[in-house]
Amino acid sequence: MSEKSKITYKDVVCPFCGTLCDDLEVDVNTKENIIIEVRNACQIGTRKFFSSNPSEHRYEVPLIKENGSFKEVSWDEAIEKTADILANAKRPLLYGFASTECDAQSKGVELAELLGGILDNTASVCHGPTLLAEQDVGVPTSTLGEYKNRADLVIFWGCNPVHAHPRHLGRYSEFVRGYFRTDGRNDRYIVVVDPRYTHTAQIADLYIKVNPNEDYELINALRAELRGVEIDEKEVAGVPREKIKELVNILKTCKFGVIFFGMGLTQSVSHHRNVDTAICLVRELNDHTKFLITPMRGHYNITGSNVVFTWNTGYGYSIDFSRGYPRYNPGEFSSVDCLIRDEIDASLIVASDPASNFPAAAVKKMFKHPLIVVEPHHTPTSVNADIILPAAFAGIETEGTAYRMDHVPLRLRKVKEPPGQCLTDREILEKLIEKVKEKKGEL
Amino acid sequence: MKMAEIKLKLKKEPRYPLEAETITPDYFAGKSIKEIKEAILFHGNQSVKLKEFFEVSGTSDDIKETKILIEGNLSKVKRIGQGMTGGEIVINGDVGMHVGNQMKGGKITVNGNADDWAGAMLKGGELEINGDAGNYVGAAYRGFWKGMENGVIKVKGKVGRESMLWARWAKKAGKFPTLYCGGAGDFLGMHNHGGTIIVEGNVDRYAGADQIMGVIVIKGKIHKKLPSFKKIGEVSEIELPNGDKITGKFIEYSGDHSVKKETNGRLYIAV
Amino acid sequence: MSLDNLILITGRTINQGIALEGGKTTKESVRAAGICAFDKDDFKKLDCMIGTPVKVMTEFGEVVVYSTISEEGPHPGIIFIPMGPWANQVVNPSSQSCGTPTFKGIKARVEVVKDGKVLDSVELISKLKEG
Repeated sequence: MSEKSKITYKDVVCPFCGTLCDDLEVDVNTKENIIIEVRNACQIGTRKFFSSNPSEHRYEVPLIKENGSFKEVSWDEAIEKTADILANAKRPLLYGFASTECDAQSKGVELAELLGGILDNTASVCHGPTLLAEQDVGVPTSTLGEYKNRADLVIFWGCNPVHAHPRHLGRYSEFVRGYFRTDGRNDRYIVVVDPRYTHTAQIADLYIKVNPNEDYELINALRAELRGVEIDEKEVAGVPREKIKELVNILKTCKFGVIFFGMGLTQSVSHHRNVDTAICLVRELNDHTKFLITPMRGHYNITGSNVVFTWNTGYGYSIDFSRGYPRYNPGEFSSVDCLIRDEIDASLIVASDPASNFPAAAVKKMFKHPLIVVEPHHTPTSVNADIILPAAFAGIETEGTAYRMDHVPLRLRKVKEPPGQCLTDREILEKLIEKVKEKKGEL
Repeated sequence: MKMAEIKLKLKKEPRYPLEAETITPDYFAGKSIKEIKEAILFHGNQSVKLKEFFEVSGTSDDIKETKILIEGNLSKVKRIGQGMTGGEIVINGDVGMHVGNQMKGGKITVNGNADDWAGAMLKGGELEINGDAGNYVGAAYRGFWKGMENGVIKVKGKVGRESMLWARWAKKAGKFPTLYCGGAGDFLGMHNHGGTIIVEGNVDRYAGADQIMGVIVIKGKIHKKLPSFKKIGEVSEIELPNGDKITGKFIEYSGDHSVKKETNGRLYIAV
Repeated sequence: MSLDNLILITGRTINQGIALEGGKTTKESVRAAGICAFDKDDFKKLDCMIGTPVKVMTEFGEVVVYSTISEEGPHPGIIFIPMGPWANQVVNPSSQSCGTPTFKGIKARVEVVKDGKVLDSVELISKLKEG
């Protein structure tokens, strides 16, 4: 391979997790259109770039299932059949929209409105409770750069960044020098609250073991003690009262604190009320010092999905268009709940894998009805679909905007061409919108 | 004078959720049976006529004298009684979400179970459920920080989680939103701003979470009380905000102290 | 041997994340997500070798996965299955009306099934398509 056909892209934004690292270097063989090497990314980000190379796992041609096996078809045929199914559905579900760029997400809103269906994104099974809590009590928050430069107390509550956001610790929260944290790790005090002694806890300064499903009462006790009201209980959520008082003191006496939280709060049984009380704790700490809170968003552009849905409809996820205008009510219009109640009669899945990530009861119902996926590679959802629309990887094969977990928008790069007949998510959705408009005119 | 009665009988189970906010005494009053049959309901993303799903008989009158009797398994029928200002609805069967939401007056009786959001944002009137109710009974909708403002909800069975969320009284105007129930799930009276709640039986966890003012009385046991509620003492009589009195031996707690150092919010748990 | 009164937690691991991006329908994903990690002392009570299949049962379903000892213990009484199709057979699908299912903190019990078969993700999910 001659040197001329290798290009090195710098400052590439990684399309994997909500940390949205923006310092990747990617070597591409432009002649053969393949990724050769990725530097600076974590293992998962690196793997994602390589998974875009041609392989038996990659879709390159539209497919329609006939007699149990997939048949290659033209784009026209695939779009026609998809639009037909969706336009005739009385309660279609449009779900996913997390691992794609903002223009595509906007097209998703337009399509859902046209179809009078349910529009939802992965926040529904992830940080949806965070949004619910923010809607009730607000959120004192900031950007990752501020935390990197200022935070001397960092708390990871119900999250495990070593596994889920591998470079977060090294770029923003723990092992990095900041403007006012010139001694890096030694200038920070790290606390982890978790039922398990996770790998993140193992490298922290203080580990607090909380009983599963009891985070709410622990934070409630912290808030009471913070207000100067002594609790009567000797132990709350498995944490002794002395430790609770010690923790309150650590919180009050830092210069600049931040809580990063994850599924430990949102997916355990008190869901959004865990986040509600955590936000209230942080707000109250600002009577004593500077304190902020930020959710560890999972997908690289789920924040963008919430932002784009919100500026279009007023709501961030679990949106119903069946009455001709957007309505919002997680629990009533959320994907898993609607599927389990068997309300949905057709599903369009964009940039997501619900068959892997939804509870089995919901997946069963999803498979009972027509299923169309917009997907670059094999997933348990796509192999069980009726129609596969092969997509380009946003952030690798098409550019676009993504929002980091702290709402900072970054521009995704295009480092290679999409293979075969792949189209971008937004092109596919545009085609569907045109075709559905035609059909709705006919109907 | 006898109330004008309109009978609705569900003909077939809806395939999709059926939204029926036109089923109210307000909408039916003064309309002929023929007109009522043409009322618009929403089935999935399609608008349908009421007669497609219900058999209709009877006569209507002005709002206050109209009684609607509905039979059938209405567990997928949502929004019955929405915003009504008078008259009566009796449902003989289970009913779907949002029954009686934003009601201002009149009475709804459900002889069955109710789904989530029963009596949400209630502004007056009476909602009686003779079975269990789902989550968010008498609660505020998403993003609203004022929930139930007046009226009474009575649930014979158990109410689900976050019932009476953001309830708010108006003492000078004599508005005391009240819930009577047989049992309750977690977070009863969440963010309470003046609701009155009386539970005949047991309650799960965290009743009164983030309560600023109001009264919660539990005649059974609570599975887990919040650490931020402090024991004041024992009482043998409780005076409710609306002036009613309850007698019995209770431990009086003040709370929620995670929100305020000093508070008039009260939680009573039977001894 | 079996264990009762356990609490099941599901969540991300880096291996599950790598397998996820590399094609979730491969054997790699079974080894990454078709596993159940036990506290060291709890595992002794099971009296079996690492890798022996175990059946995890909750009120919502059951699934057979490979057993292993947790690197993130001690956490007696807690078992951990990485997020994915295996975990989703046994988590609580109810969101208690907030929209998000309860993937963490579910009561569970476990039984050793020496001859149990751990399905790969395609087989596992295809069963959901039947009937």
